[in-house]
Amino acid sequence: MAKCVIARDLTKSFENLSVLSGLSLEVDAGERLVLLGASGSGKTTLLRIIAGLDYPGSGFLEVAAQRIGFVFQEPRLIPWRTVRENLLFVNRQGEVERLLEQLRLKGFENYYPAQLSGGMKQRVNLARALIIKPALLLLDEAFASLDPPVKMSILDDLMKQWQNNRFTIISVTHDLKEGLYMADRAVILDSSTGQISHDIEIDLEAQRSIFSPRLLQLEARMLQLMTQAAVT
Amino acid sequence: MNKPLRWLIGILVFIAIWQVASLLINKSIILPAPARVFTELAWQLTNRLVWIAALETAWKVLLALILVLLAGVSTGLLLGVNETLRDCSRPIIMVIQAVPVISWLTLVLFTWGPGWEGPVFIAFLSLIPIAILTTVSGVQNLDLELLEMARLYKVDRLSIIKDIYLGSLLPFIIAIIDVTIGQAWKVILVAEYLAGDSGLGVMILSARYEVNAVKLYAITLLAVILGITTERMLKSSLGRVSKRWLSAL
Repeated sequence: MAKCVIARDLTKSFENLSVLSGLSLEVDAGERLVLLGASGSGKTTLLRIIAGLDYPGSGFLEVAAQRIGFVFQEPRLIPWRTVRENLLFVNRQGEVERLLEQLRLKGFENYYPAQLSGGMKQRVNLARALIIKPALLLLDEAFASLDPPVKMSILDDLMKQWQNNRFTIISVTHDLKEGLYMADRAVILDSSTGQISHDIEIDLEAQRSIFSPRLLQLEARMLQLMTQAAVT
Repeated sequence: MNKPLRWLIGILVFIAIWQVASLLINKSIILPAPARVFTELAWQLTNRLVWIAALETAWKVLLALILVLLAGVSTGLLLGVNETLRDCSRPIIMVIQAVPVISWLTLVLFTWGPGWEGPVFIAFLSLIPIAILTTVSGVQNLDLELLEMARLYKVDRLSIIKDIYLGSLLPFIIAIIDVTIGQAWKVILVAEYLAGDSGLGVMILSARYEVNAVKLYAITLLAVILGITTERMLKSSLGRVSKRWLSAL
């Protein structure tokens, strides 16, 4: 399987605080990976390094993706540009109409961000990441501020996009259900070592439900592992 | 009480104070009565040369404003994004601000002699620091997260300037126009008076030579009316643009 991301012995410090200490990770092309861990364990830092928004202190990083989409936690939409203009800003030749329809934004093309709800803004944030036809999609607690029904609806739409395009997904989240609902693999970052403490395959069926006993069981196990990582 | 009525009352009170003051001073060379000034103004307005002078002053104001905006905003943008350039140019801006207008005027007379260039140049130099410094503070208030987003998506520089920088700077550009329009009228009139060959400033100068205080007040009143009118018109149209921009936030 071709690799989309290869990271070896990555380090990153902020002044005297070491966040990543020799972290290694490989992500297959088309894989859906969720990064879990306590606050300050370096999840967002790792994501930003992969996106090229930050540089590692040392180590090796190879990202085999020309186009990288990033769904930020806050929408980062240009306030004085409409939904359509915000999408065209990142890709002048983008298929705006088709994407707006698929992400249930049809009819909102000419709305300004301030006229949209939080959920709609995040849909536009996602649409902007998808309009560049990314080979790698990074999500940084993208849906953390949304209520569960809106979050599930957007996640379903994202999964449909993934089914059709098979881009690689790396997602950072604190919501275990969200992670388990969308990922093939979960890695837990340990804040004390600055490395990966657990790397777990999520062997759930393709069509998932957040209420399935298997998912709930996995959630409990993840929570236990995360707590251990946070305590140690 | 509605706004136009309050305005009218304000104007009437002003004229009343003026009338009382002219009666108390009782020297028309210092302060002529308002009725005489209004009559003179009405007479002056029948003179085609006065209209030509007013238009000449107005276009100089407009030209100076356009030049200030073009040069001020582009320089401010450059200085805003480049800290080294900003620090290097700070003394130059301070010198431009500190040099007395009279020195510039003398220089202008040496360079061009009396003409339209002098007043426009003087207004430009007087107002350009405001435009540059306001734009610089606008650039420094830019949303860095938007810029990071643009960098991530490898958006071309021109689109970033057009869609993020200019969009963010619009309220600051409106503020520049708001502040400079009134000052531009005053500076152009003074510069015309001292180094011009046409315009209302030159008419004020001729009133001085004629020792004609009534004419001086009438031309000044015309300049004030024109200044306030253009200021109100510009502010009203800018207000509409600004309102549309703010509604997008």
